[in-house]
Amino acid sequence: MTVPDDRRYTDQHEWTLVQAGDEGATVVRVGITDHAQDALGDIVFVQLPDVGAELAAGDPMGEVESTKSVSDVYAPVAGTVVAVNDALADTPETVNADPYGAGWLVDIRVDADGDDPTTDLLDAAAYQVLVDGS
Amino acid sequence: MDPRTSPLHDRHVAAGAKLADFGGWSMPIEYTGGGVLAEHAAVREGVGLFDVSHLGTATVRGPGAAAFVDACLTNDLGRIGPGQAQYTLCCVPDGEPQAGGVVDDLIVYLHAEDDVLLVPNAANAAEVVARLTAAAPAGVTVTDRHAEVAVLAVQGPRSPQVLSLLGLPGELSYMSFVTGVGGGDAEVTVCRTGYTGEHGYELLVAAERAGELWDQLVEVGGDEGLRLCGLGARDTLRTEMGYPLHGHELSRDITPNQARSGWAVGWRKSAFWGREALLAEREAGPSRSLWGLRAPGRGIPRPGMAVLDAAGTRIGEVTSGTFSPSLRTGIALALLDTAAGVEEGADVAVDVRGRPQPVTVVRPPFVESHVR
Repeated sequence: MTVPDDRRYTDQHEWTLVQAGDEGATVVRVGITDHAQDALGDIVFVQLPDVGAELAAGDPMGEVESTKSVSDVYAPVAGTVVAVNDALADTPETVNADPYGAGWLVDIRVDADGDDPTTDLLDAAAYQVLVDGS
Repeated sequence: MDPRTSPLHDRHVAAGAKLADFGGWSMPIEYTGGGVLAEHAAVREGVGLFDVSHLGTATVRGPGAAAFVDACLTNDLGRIGPGQAQYTLCCVPDGEPQAGGVVDDLIVYLHAEDDVLLVPNAANAAEVVARLTAAAPAGVTVTDRHAEVAVLAVQGPRSPQVLSLLGLPGELSYMSFVTGVGGGDAEVTVCRTGYTGEHGYELLVAAERAGELWDQLVEVGGDEGLRLCGLGARDTLRTEMGYPLHGHELSRDITPNQARSGWAVGWRKSAFWGREALLAEREAGPSRSLWGLRAPGRGIPRPGMAVLDAAGTRIGEVTSGTFSPSLRTGIALALLDTAAGVEEGADVAVDVRGRPQPVTVVRPPFVESHVR
């Protein structure tokens, strides 16, 4: 199970990766981790928020379903949904195949004055410890 | 209590199985490198090998053993002869609370009039054995063989080739069984049955010989594309066929009339457990019936979710639901209130965590059966 060190993580098994933002704001890409997709098994349905949705940190923003179970996905940061990965509607298995890349879920725009809004989240080493302990 | 494990447990671990608890047994849910979708496809298109040793096994032996079983369980053993198996139900006897409710559904193997083998579900095996033991007449002995017998399922259109390569008899009519030799010199009972909707077999073998048989099946099955399959795929396969699973579509609270399992009841028999209660319910008409629900898309109804009519009124409850790998849509089984007057083709909705998701009422199976 891989944990890339270019991004930060939540204890709910989401990852966040800061993208290039526009003026005064930062865009954070969000997905679920390799550990999460493996625990779920074959993912067959992904429910994502609408573009424009306003989220507080910790809000449930979507669901990832496998044949056996459903798992909520929570917003790791507060902001506005500016993009969702529409390709997952027809090919949700991409989340299994490439959870850190093509299997991304949403982009959230955060008013952060150029600061990194994910600094309070877990770094790769801390997330690895969390996974190893579970 | 630690879960019990199959005699094949070490092989599952070595094969990278993800394990889960099934009726007190730790069993493979899926295998690394496979997954539910690939394992499901293998059974529909090729061949899959399942360990279902969590299923119980019990013998009923002695003069009149078959007649005794026939007077307890619902189906009519007179419909089959020695060498044939039958799906049947163990219901709560009349006079007890929930009379006519289902203690378990099981397969009966009729070896001879004085020799019957039962294959109940893992979680219910002990109760079925206890009830039969308490009721058995002098000379008839009920013996729990749960730990002594392993059950393997070889399922899929290429399953006859796999059995043939192993020298096991495969030319059997549906629900017939014979005893052959495989897995070294182990005695194997081969039955043309299964829980997938495909042509397939279930193999009963002594627990201490199960490993050899498993290894041989894996070896000869390689050329046929045999894939190890877990109980996750078994569930998607059986749900596509609309087969009931005890604890979901059948239970003490759900009678055979409600679950449309009346075909497994010998209504003309003079005695079986729950007969009076079930006849009365059949006469009056059940208050609810089992239906299939098909979603237009990938959203998945899950057990316990409410089924709603067009006005948003609750008319029933989902008992099983999954993603159909064959249809690429959500499917479900649900008990719908008779009073709602729902017919095949009706548009209703499932309350999916607060979102009403439209579904269509259908008659299972969701995909064509190939068992015969």
